[in-house]
Amino acid sequence: MTEMEQPWEEWIRERDDPRIARTRPEALDDITVLDLSYKSFAGCYCSSLLAEFGAEVLRIEPPEGDFIRKCTPYGILYKGEGLNYLSEGRNKFHITLNLKKPEAREILKGLAAQADVLIETYPPGVMDEWGVGYEVLKEINPRLIFASITAYGQFGPMSHRWGADYDNVIQARSGNQYDNGEMLPEGKTYDECPWAVPTKAGPWIGWAQAGTFMAVGILAALHWRELTGEGQALDLASAESYASLEDWAAIWYQGAGIVSERFGSLNIGGWLYCFAPTRDGAVFLGGLRLEMWQAFADMLGKWDEWGAANWTDLADFSAKEEQLKWAERVFAETRKYTNEELVRMSVEYAKKGRLAPITPVVAPVCSPWEAMHDPNWIDRGIFTPVEDPVYGEIIVAQAQYKLTETPPRVKWVCRPVGYDNEYIYLKYMGFGPRKLKKLKEAGII
Amino acid sequence: MITVGESTWQNYKETKHSKPLPLKGIRVLEVCTLLLGPSGPGFLSRLGAEVIKCEMPPLGDTLRSLVPFGYWFREDQPTSLIRPNPNKYWLGLDLHKPEGQKLFLELAAQADIIEENLRPGVMERWNIGYRQIREINPRIIYISKTGFGQWGQYARENRPSNDGAAQAMSGYAWMSRFPGQPPLKNRLYICDSYGALLGEVAVLAALHYRDRTGKGQYIELSQSETIMRTMSWVWPYQQITGKTAMPAGNRDVSICPADTFRCADDTFVAIAAPDTEEFRGLCTAMGRPELADDPRFKDHLTRLQEENATEILGIIAEWARTRTAEEIEGLADKYGFVASRVYTIKDVLENEHSRERGFVKELDDPLIGEFLDYEFPVMMTRTPPRVLWTVRPVGFDNEYVLTHILGKTESEIRQLYERGAVGKWAEIRGRRPPPDWDGKAGLIMVRPE
Repeated sequence: MTEMEQPWEEWIRERDDPRIARTRPEALDDITVLDLSYKSFAGCYCSSLLAEFGAEVLRIEPPEGDFIRKCTPYGILYKGEGLNYLSEGRNKFHITLNLKKPEAREILKGLAAQADVLIETYPPGVMDEWGVGYEVLKEINPRLIFASITAYGQFGPMSHRWGADYDNVIQARSGNQYDNGEMLPEGKTYDECPWAVPTKAGPWIGWAQAGTFMAVGILAALHWRELTGEGQALDLASAESYASLEDWAAIWYQGAGIVSERFGSLNIGGWLYCFAPTRDGAVFLGGLRLEMWQAFADMLGKWDEWGAANWTDLADFSAKEEQLKWAERVFAETRKYTNEELVRMSVEYAKKGRLAPITPVVAPVCSPWEAMHDPNWIDRGIFTPVEDPVYGEIIVAQAQYKLTETPPRVKWVCRPVGYDNEYIYLKYMGFGPRKLKKLKEAGII
Repeated sequence: MITVGESTWQNYKETKHSKPLPLKGIRVLEVCTLLLGPSGPGFLSRLGAEVIKCEMPPLGDTLRSLVPFGYWFREDQPTSLIRPNPNKYWLGLDLHKPEGQKLFLELAAQADIIEENLRPGVMERWNIGYRQIREINPRIIYISKTGFGQWGQYARENRPSNDGAAQAMSGYAWMSRFPGQPPLKNRLYICDSYGALLGEVAVLAALHYRDRTGKGQYIELSQSETIMRTMSWVWPYQQITGKTAMPAGNRDVSICPADTFRCADDTFVAIAAPDTEEFRGLCTAMGRPELADDPRFKDHLTRLQEENATEILGIIAEWARTRTAEEIEGLADKYGFVASRVYTIKDVLENEHSRERGFVKELDDPLIGEFLDYEFPVMMTRTPPRVLWTVRPVGFDNEYVLTHILGKTESEIRQLYERGAVGKWAEIRGRRPPPDWDGKAGLIMVRPE
């Protein structure tokens, strides 16, 4: 059998299944990253994305550890560790350095001279005040990529406004919280419906997106450096980056003068695209082409009653009143079925329906518990427990993309504060145990 | 305090167009529709990559039809297509036709990156799958972005997907709501936009590897899997406690206090004050400094415990109802905690700070006119990313791509049109040029008559 004759699914799985990741090379194993993130999950997430591809990340914390370790749901610690940090210490070497001391700053300069990337999240000006800002470090290492993630960015009229960069505030300032959430039912007040308000999303999406944008920026800068040898400074303001993930509201406002408002689990951007209640929960329904919406009506046995054969343009359904009217009709039908039944109906329709292979998207709304136990994701290696030398078997999300040559991997999930001081300071600074002890006693490490 | 803004970032906005772009010389072919697909190349094009967007003529990208409540920008332009698709070259290419496939292979031979988001196996049926492309260009970096990836049960069932499905199946929407309320679909197409962004981390890591070794590779991602990656504590929490992670509305259960509160004027403000100093500042601002020393609130881990968190958030909520959001923002600056009113889209666009930074940018597009867009949010001192132009009608840049990149002669091009391998837009909204178009503006090369 030639390679082309082998079914694609089989061929590709043989080459990108995360189970063989450890036998493959790593894309970034020539890169050293200093992560000085302070009270910011965005920075930690950013360095994780690089560490998953093999970058040697030196996670630098103050001697008492970064505050972010103590940001954990309901105050729960596992073996002394907050659960967010437990997920995002992955593959990093953890060292301590007390940057309030001048001697520590000299050590940082020594590390920066040997690094490719530096990530920091202090309020603008702090690194400069310590004498380890970009202008100083670029003299020591012109190839350095110096990446700052903050609330307001390094310049602009508000850049020196006081304040750390917290996820919920990022979401509020991005514009993406205001028009997300349930509509206030007519005639009701916020007191009666305290849930019908601007609603934030996800556990720390504001921070995750900021870190991911910066990872893209760093990698683009790294490519440029390969071509020219030049390092540079990078600046990201977290609320700006989250704002930039929105697609149409800015254009709509400029053209029509309309400020986007909450529309529940329906979709201002078009029909059919909503969550619908079912007998045992809810499903997502998607039919962004006319034929898919027709197929959905047909699947429910409503082809004639709803006159689906006469529909000519999906745009006729996208106005607010139309959506509300059709949503009511659709929900009355979906309530008759279970999630599983509706999903099956859509899969079957693709085989035998009048418009097959066209079929609507029907997806069950799952709890994270169901998601974590879904055999499909388990098979794909998303929740394979990591065998961590310190914390034991831990489940974290991983294998979020699969690559044939240089797949990402999680080697360990986390490390306690200062766990790697001995190895890293010996490797990079030549500090033996005696010197290290002195530095510790002096409160520098 | 010494400020970096004064030296490192001096005149950043004013000088950005006099500097090079970091991905200059990188060519990307896009066979994508909607958002998960096109947004990825859209990030690269802001970083200077040359992105050729291949659309099926004459209707092109499905996203052209999807506009907010039926609103078309400037009469008939595709409102939702504008932002995710800057700086691209628009090729109307029929990949069902052998001549169309042959053209694609000619382009692929000189490309660095291919991005597609069709269902698994479709690209191979068109003879432009990874296995076919790598034969002619082993340096290619080829990414497929789908609902469920290329293998596994759901992929095998050939299930269709989109952002909402990923929000549903990942647990993301289930979590992002108030307790006791039905699951809430996020109004952003977050699994599309974020999924596409995360995909570029893999693409650029692969580019770095290729810079080192000359080797290309194949990448696949699933939009459900990418959003799961962001859900941090949820997975170890479930494993360790044996319980389902529960929704908590606007409250951040990992940071306390961190929540959104209703103010006196029925506007909303987000407040965060988790560390000792911040919390003391907030208590002082509320006129309740003694709370900072209350044993229930004495340190962050203690405050985070359910009972204590409920208590302190209740106290803050009561206080916030007596103040305006603006007052609370002022108090935050004065007393050292973090607060922001909940911005509308108008607030974001009119934000003086982002305008000064050049994040909110005035664009003067030759085809659709002036409007404000967002710049790529990572600012880079040596290689500033930027938006230059935006959406074009289907097949608008055919002549440029065929003549300039592929070196086709006029008679060859005529033949390609006759055979339907390439084509242009249909005369319907979302596809065609604006009504007042003079037949020239925005065109790089004119179609031979």
